[in-house]
Amino acid sequence: MKRSSQIGLGAAGVLLVATVWSMTGDSQEENLVYNSLSDCRAAGQLTAQQCETAFSEATATRLKDAPKFQSQSACEAQYGANGCGSATIGGAQYFIPALAGFMLARGLAGGPAQPLMPPTAAACPPGSAQPECQQARAATSSSSSGSSGGSSSYRSSRSRAYSTTSGSNVTAAFAGGARGGSVSTTSVSSRGGFGSTARSYSSHSSS
Amino acid sequence: MRRVTLSPRSDWVEQVERLGFAFHTIDGETYWDESAAFAFTLEEIERDIEGPTDAIEQLCFAFIETALDHEEALTKLAIPAEHWDYIRESWKRGERNLYGRLDLAYDGRGPAKLLEYNADTPTALFESSVVQWDWLEQAMARGAIPKGSDQFNSLHERLIAAFKGLREPSPYRLHLTCVQGSPEDKGTVDYLTDCAVQAGLDARFTYIEELGLLSDGRFCDGANQPIETLFKLYPWEWMFRESYGKALAGSGCQFIEPPWKAILSNKGLLACLWEMEPGHPNLLPAFFEGDPRCATLSGKHVRKPLYSREGANVTLMERGRVLDSDDGPYGAEGHILQDAATNLFSAEGKYAVLGSWLVASQACGLCVREDASPITKNTSRFLPHYIEP
Repeated sequence: MKRSSQIGLGAAGVLLVATVWSMTGDSQEENLVYNSLSDCRAAGQLTAQQCETAFSEATATRLKDAPKFQSQSACEAQYGANGCGSATIGGAQYFIPALAGFMLARGLAGGPAQPLMPPTAAACPPGSAQPECQQARAATSSSSSGSSGGSSSYRSSRSRAYSTTSGSNVTAAFAGGARGGSVSTTSVSSRGGFGSTARSYSSHSSS
Repeated sequence: MRRVTLSPRSDWVEQVERLGFAFHTIDGETYWDESAAFAFTLEEIERDIEGPTDAIEQLCFAFIETALDHEEALTKLAIPAEHWDYIRESWKRGERNLYGRLDLAYDGRGPAKLLEYNADTPTALFESSVVQWDWLEQAMARGAIPKGSDQFNSLHERLIAAFKGLREPSPYRLHLTCVQGSPEDKGTVDYLTDCAVQAGLDARFTYIEELGLLSDGRFCDGANQPIETLFKLYPWEWMFRESYGKALAGSGCQFIEPPWKAILSNKGLLACLWEMEPGHPNLLPAFFEGDPRCATLSGKHVRKPLYSREGANVTLMERGRVLDSDDGPYGAEGHILQDAATNLFSAEGKYAVLGSWLVASQACGLCVREDASPITKNTSRFLPHYIEP
């Protein structure tokens, strides 16, 4: 593929994900989303080995690319209470958003799995009534305590919000009771993103 | 390379505005034009555009290496002598560059020819990186073009990666600036700010008119914050000559693009490259005006000021007669003459010029602009492209 695989625009609050068209049919591929390694294994869409590979890719990418903060409070201001953990990177201690899940393309062309982190405050401000935000907050509080995702707290959930390392927000849809969720490549979108540039874009449109 | 007529999306204005694309129409004239698109084969993209773009960039680096130590070259390029050391230092320190756009003549037959290099302040970036990318997705989804089409366009991910690596340690604080009152420039800088934030940088915008100078010699933004790294969508040749020009060398500021880009973003480069590699398949014969070898140019040639933006002051000549010209404020520093390209893509009475993007000196994207005149101006239209499956 000679084009970007995805484009996140904080200002406009959109995440665009390239559709990978199968040349043998018209089926479009989906991005699979799991909240934990055990959810990935239990869902049965991938082999245990594929799940472990994806999980370790996402873990490594999170350490490398997640926003780093000097204090827990600075991190939590962005990712919500209990949305952060400490990490030692290059000998220094940082606070980075928790691994709330991971996302990977179902096909081979999708590249390494991406870490998913709690949604940012811009998408899910404290006290937000959005259902995916409420579930997300419940989930992050359990995952930050060291368990691997706390899937029981949102088993019946239908959608859940996350953010990516590039700063975009993503909402994944989960079928009732399913352990694996999916982000359809044509319906991925997010709200909020970063506020300040959004205002400069909109003042533009109206000028 | 084919021009394919298509019906625009019925809601195209809404679709491009949802991405934050505000200047799809400029002064009441269409700028984003999806009533047609350009189709390429993968071989055309890789063999005729991507490969030559990387090759020309290497040629440019070789030229900088020699030019920095040759006063004659720097004089011919009309670079003020008081800034030569500043430019040399930026090259010797290996200051990294972000992006540039080569304008190429290409019609699908024979090698692409370099028309000019927008190495310092290229625009048309957001529409290249994002708007035509989104157009492609939707065009495939609605069946307007074949599913499985692709696009020469990894600009977005390359820009984010490049921002991370421009300065160490990263993340760092980055200021971005452009002039007031230009929606197109502001749109380009807004997009780059977004990319910088996604690269983890502490990115801050300030208008160039707001820049100040601190007592210790550093530049500061409108809020008096010192500036350590500055992306400026504002040409070096203007900065050198304005009152803060004298403060550049002592400011300790890392500029993006770096000062050495001043050597490339100069039409004199075209004559210098031809001097260095006469007969190169991707170059057109070109000489500084006044050089006796101008007599060897073909009857149809183009006269370009050393410094010029968006086609301003460019004149197309045929045997001494002016065929087309564009008015503008440039030309005081001299001109070059360049053979008119014979392989400019032409269809439906319009001419298309290819813009081949480099990010961190790697070819990674394409835009096509179309004009009723063979001189691409700021009134030209942007048309999307795709690679046929």
